[in-house]
Amino acid sequence: MGVGFRVPGVGSDKALAYLLLAPTLFVLLALSIYPLIHAVSLSLQITSGGIARWSPQNFVRLVSDQFFLAALGHTLIFAVVALTLEFLLGLALAVLLNKQLRGRSFFRAGLLVPMMLPTVVVGVIWRLMLNPNFGAVNGTLKGFGLNTAALTWTSSPRLAMFSIIAVDVWQWTPFMFLILLAGLQAIPQEPYEAALIDGSSAWQTFRHVTLPLLKPAILVALLLRTMDLLRVFDQVFILTEGGPGFATETLSLYIYRTAFRFSDFGYAAAMSFVLLLITNIISAFYIRLLQAKES
Amino acid sequence: MRIQAGIVIASLAILFTVACRSNRNPNAKQLTLAVNSGVEGDALKQAAKDYEAQTGVHINIAEFPYANLFEKEMIDLTARAGAYDLIMLDDPWFPKFASQQLLTELSPLLKTKGQSGPDEDFVPTSIALGREPYQTGALYALPYVGNSQLLFYRKDLFAKHNLKEPATWDEALAAAKTLSDLEINGAPGGGKVYGYVMRAAQGNAAVADFMPIFWAFGGEMFDAGGRPAVNSPEGIAALRLMLELGKYSPPGYASFNADEVGAHLLQGTAAMSINWPAWISAFDDPSRSKVIGNMAFTTLPGAKNPGRAEIGNWLIAIPRDARNKEAAFEFLLWATSAEQMKRSALRGNPPTRKSLFTDPELVNKFPAYPAQLRSLESSRPRPRTPFWNEIENVFGIYLSKANSGELSPEDAMNQANAEIAKILERGK
Repeated sequence: MGVGFRVPGVGSDKALAYLLLAPTLFVLLALSIYPLIHAVSLSLQITSGGIARWSPQNFVRLVSDQFFLAALGHTLIFAVVALTLEFLLGLALAVLLNKQLRGRSFFRAGLLVPMMLPTVVVGVIWRLMLNPNFGAVNGTLKGFGLNTAALTWTSSPRLAMFSIIAVDVWQWTPFMFLILLAGLQAIPQEPYEAALIDGSSAWQTFRHVTLPLLKPAILVALLLRTMDLLRVFDQVFILTEGGPGFATETLSLYIYRTAFRFSDFGYAAAMSFVLLLITNIISAFYIRLLQAKES
Repeated sequence: MRIQAGIVIASLAILFTVACRSNRNPNAKQLTLAVNSGVEGDALKQAAKDYEAQTGVHINIAEFPYANLFEKEMIDLTARAGAYDLIMLDDPWFPKFASQQLLTELSPLLKTKGQSGPDEDFVPTSIALGREPYQTGALYALPYVGNSQLLFYRKDLFAKHNLKEPATWDEALAAAKTLSDLEINGAPGGGKVYGYVMRAAQGNAAVADFMPIFWAFGGEMFDAGGRPAVNSPEGIAALRLMLELGKYSPPGYASFNADEVGAHLLQGTAAMSINWPAWISAFDDPSRSKVIGNMAFTTLPGAKNPGRAEIGNWLIAIPRDARNKEAAFEFLLWATSAEQMKRSALRGNPPTRKSLFTDPELVNKFPAYPAQLRSLESSRPRPRTPFWNEIENVFGIYLSKANSGELSPEDAMNQANAEIAKILERGK
């Protein structure tokens, strides 16, 4: 590097590095940093009678807005339950398919299909399958002689949350599986051989050898899924539209409505800011754990 | 390296030129229309093609799904970007646009054509929607598609059980009970026929299916002083009736939207519903309908007050910052003329002109037109307020909560009232 390119007075390598970084920095500034600053300034303004003025009103409203608090609660419940299930299932599948199984590559490829489908398509398919009268789910259950009259998957307040979680688990467990499997395959054989010589049981090997060595992969998978789960929008929008009666309204949905249906961009920006803050705090926590392990 | 740096700079320069290049020539004879993707927008798209062929005015179509059309138009008009010369509006959006003075007043343009006002042939309830304030104010939009709700019911099943066309909601409820009790195996594919089916998904769906009952029972969303009054005794009684009808609706109706209601009616698994004219033609389509020839369409039942439908018209307006207002107005007048609207009607859109509802050719093709005209002429608009989207959202949430059994009718209406009051308070 650094052959023949000279900017007077500046080290050539550095200048080139900055120059090559410039487009990325420019795009980042234009598409992330500027909108972020603009959103924060929007959230600190309220408009009445066509005149905008500075006010913390939007943030005050957050605390007393029962819809915001409910949506936040739904988002957290959704994220925690879905993340736990996806992690446990993903880990189990990864451990299982890391062994020499017959048809292993078939299972591995098959498992990835849900993840490759667009979320919107998944939402539509499940909406049809979960229809209480014409859907495949209740149809199959009826075939086994079950009474499905009470199983209105997307329209009873309790089942609706369960349904959107189930669909997310169905679609995104493969993602956990994929990262954890890659992590498992990166673990060298030696620690296992050592554990075997020391007479460790299968559980002990898993607990004291596999898990600690898999930790970086686990944290990366959890980090990525957590960020996605907190901003969930598409499946919920299609499956329940936040209903029945707000029972599955997530924060992203409420923000979308506030901004684009009610044209209240200031309040929507304030809520987005809170969501960003929560996501950042949780991500920072994961990243710290990750770094602690590496150093 | 010098070459690489040069490439980077050149690419940046190209990016900038592409980003800044304007592809619009404001002097060319062309118009841009924002339309709904669906049967209403399709008719206008076809009309635009005909217009282009006749006059040489080039028309660009910006087509958006219903869910996005409002936000696209709102963002463009408030940013004063002038991207559209004409916009299609669903009538409940109109107060929001008109109250922010985002539209062009049409009367001065009509005067240049020697007309003192819009054509008398427009149905009064339709033309009233394009005025701000409602009915009496200045004209900002012309009605293009004249939808209003109808009661759909299975005339074969009603005849079989000696039921007459319901004139009141009590009669409708009694009929729904009778049919649910007796038609346990009456569906075309076997299985039960539910007496009634409705949309009770939160938002627009639940509110649209509730308003005609609410009005019939004497409910009003706002009192004379403009304060919300949905928790009046009349309002609560109307919600009770909705829940009674829910007992004879298919399970899960609390999250139904138009598609589920349509499916139940077409499959013959539900016998009665409030629905919109766009669904009428589907019942004669053998590939979709199992109830060909058995569906009747009439005006809505009443209670304390005569039954009145909710109106749902598509309007066309010219944004305040449109670049070609005169050319846009020419097209608007042409597209809403009787001759062109008839072509739109033949493509499946109910007209907004009296002469077309009584046009023999159209009535022959669309036998429900007399009922549709009666419904349209006696219809009511949704409460006219710039905050309708927000109000409809919270009202829909509480109606949905009552229908899913989470709240009692009193609690639902009281809480809805309190939330609507908050919205109005914030809007001040």
